[in-house]
Amino acid sequence: MPAGEAFSERQQQDVVRAIRLAQQQSQLPVSVYVGTLEGDSRATALQLHGALGDDAPQTVLVAVDPGARRVEVVTGSEVRRRLDDRAAGLAAMTMTSAFQAGDLSGGIASGVLALAEHAHAPRSLHTDTP
Amino acid sequence: MLPVTLRRLLASTVCTAGLVLATAAPALATNKTDDGDDPGPGLSVIETLLWFVVLPAGLFVVIAILATLPSMSRGPRYRPGLGWWAAPVWFNGPDDADSAVRTATATTGGGGASARW
Repeated sequence: MPAGEAFSERQQQDVVRAIRLAQQQSQLPVSVYVGTLEGDSRATALQLHGALGDDAPQTVLVAVDPGARRVEVVTGSEVRRRLDDRAAGLAAMTMTSAFQAGDLSGGIASGVLALAEHAHAPRSLHTDTP
Repeated sequence: MLPVTLRRLLASTVCTAGLVLATAAPALATNKTDDGDDPGPGLSVIETLLWFVVLPAGLFVVIAILATLPSMSRGPRYRPGLGWWAAPVWFNGPDDADSAVRTATATTGGGGASARW
């Protein structure tokens, strides 16, 4: 395989836009990693999620390994309360169905949007009581 | 002994050439012109090569380039099962990803999902 960029300019913009929409509409910080997940892919994804530092508990990491054909969704301990594992699984399935057709960036974008869709709005005090 | 593929190729080439010559023989046999024929000056060897070899080959090359140009300009694209070649990309990731990953402790108490395709 020849070396090259993972995404074209336009594909990159699609992914960035999806991440921005998730942030704006659901206040859901999403981080997307595309590359090889060496060794145990789940453990590597957890390590990558840990690398997000102080933001990690509130952040969702989507890690995609196109070579090994694996996708890992990692939700931080806090964001997990509004994005349960079932919703993460649904988003992962949304992504894999696009990946099967060879659409990497489109799959990531729709997966991120699916995550945002499922994330409940964070509960704020006083505003949702009459 | 030649490989089978090469022998077959040779045999089919010889057969085709023979068949063409055999069917064209009546036309080649005579120098007489029919009534109303008005043959112009013949082509020189160079001209013949130009019209019947260089021009078709050139057209072939031009069309082939035109056909592959769009996919070449787009670069390699992901196809399931053909591996992955690009450097890792991290959207919305840490600023210094390498050292961040090396010094990080894996997340515990989180959730999520795994899938493969």
